[in-house]
Amino acid sequence: MDLEDYRVLFFVVTLGLALVAASPALGVVVPFGGGSERFSELWLLGPWHMAEGYPFDVGVNETYGVFVGVGNHMGCSEYYVVCVKFRNSTQPLPDIDNSTPSALPPLYEYSFFVADGETWESRLTFGFEDVSLVGDVVFVGGVTINGVVFPVGSSAVWDSEYGGFYFQLFFELWRYDVTMQSFRYHNRFVGLWLNMTAS
Amino acid sequence: MAIRVGVRMSVCETRRLSDVGVMSFSRLFFVLLILSVFAVPLFVPAVFGVDGEDVAASAVDRAEAEVASAYEAVLDAEEAGADVSGLLDRLNVAGGYLAEAHVWFGLGDFDEAVRLADLCYGVVVDVSGEAFGLESEAHALGVTDSVVRMTGSMVGVVVVVFLGFVVWRVFKRRYSRRVLEMRPEVVSGGS
Repeated sequence: MDLEDYRVLFFVVTLGLALVAASPALGVVVPFGGGSERFSELWLLGPWHMAEGYPFDVGVNETYGVFVGVGNHMGCSEYYVVCVKFRNSTQPLPDIDNSTPSALPPLYEYSFFVADGETWESRLTFGFEDVSLVGDVVFVGGVTINGVVFPVGSSAVWDSEYGGFYFQLFFELWRYDVTMQSFRYHNRFVGLWLNMTAS
Repeated sequence: MAIRVGVRMSVCETRRLSDVGVMSFSRLFFVLLILSVFAVPLFVPAVFGVDGEDVAASAVDRAEAEVASAYEAVLDAEEAGADVSGLLDRLNVAGGYLAEAHVWFGLGDFDEAVRLADLCYGVVVDVSGEAFGLESEAHALGVTDSVVRMTGSMVGVVVVVFLGFVVWRVFKRRYSRRVLEMRPEVVSGGS
């Protein structure tokens, strides 16, 4: 290597070290990072806080428990609402393709705030009241959620394909939109199929 | 005589008629008053029930608006770099009360809905102000931090460039000396 080559080498090394020394100032002017995907999680765990043991065959005068949880990866603190709804197999679910919630009114709701990167979880207990069987139709008069009785007046016809009277307890995730200053359905829901045994 | 009698009678009749008129009017007014008191609930149905629902709806709306406003203030503070974990904890307490207020309102227990909505409001009413204070502090700290960073970087760049220049000069001198020492010696005379 001759002197000119060494000159170029020194120039490149000095420039590199100068950029390293300037990086704190560049970090103030040019925002680094923030390009990762932003999303929220919604999950349901069984009574032993695991993804198993979910209640399925349910009856009257019993209390069942699950854990509902939300994770925030939106880049900032979020204001969420989880709406708890109850349906039979003919009533509408949320429409994932159109990002619209179910038209059914919520029975119960959770309202909470989660910091970015954090999670929220709560135990939910539920049960059923005024369950009666008339012919091949089961009628459910009330759903108890966390000790509060909600009149539902729902019914389900015997499902011969799957052999049961099926209802679903499902959870919709809503998020507060600061721009619109209102809650919007966050296109996340989880549900629990329940086979009502009228015993 | 007949005329006098007729006049007298008409005066008497007039006096009697007026006496009867006053008494009838008072009696009629009294009867109408009693009737109207009993008729009010018929024409304004469920007055007290509607008021209870309106009061509850108003309380819940007020709590909702305050929670949303507090959340937006906390977001601004968080964006400025403030530690808002304490404020989020309080918002969560308020959110719990608000959710319960919605539940009881839906079930028609308006007194409970009002109680919970007022609890929610009481928890969250000062959060906006505190968030604004944290935001201001964070902004001030952020400005100081930026100035320190910029100054430190400028000094660092100047030092690196200066040292680079000095090291280059020293290297160049030594390199030139080594090259000169390697030149072959010129010897006079030959064999």
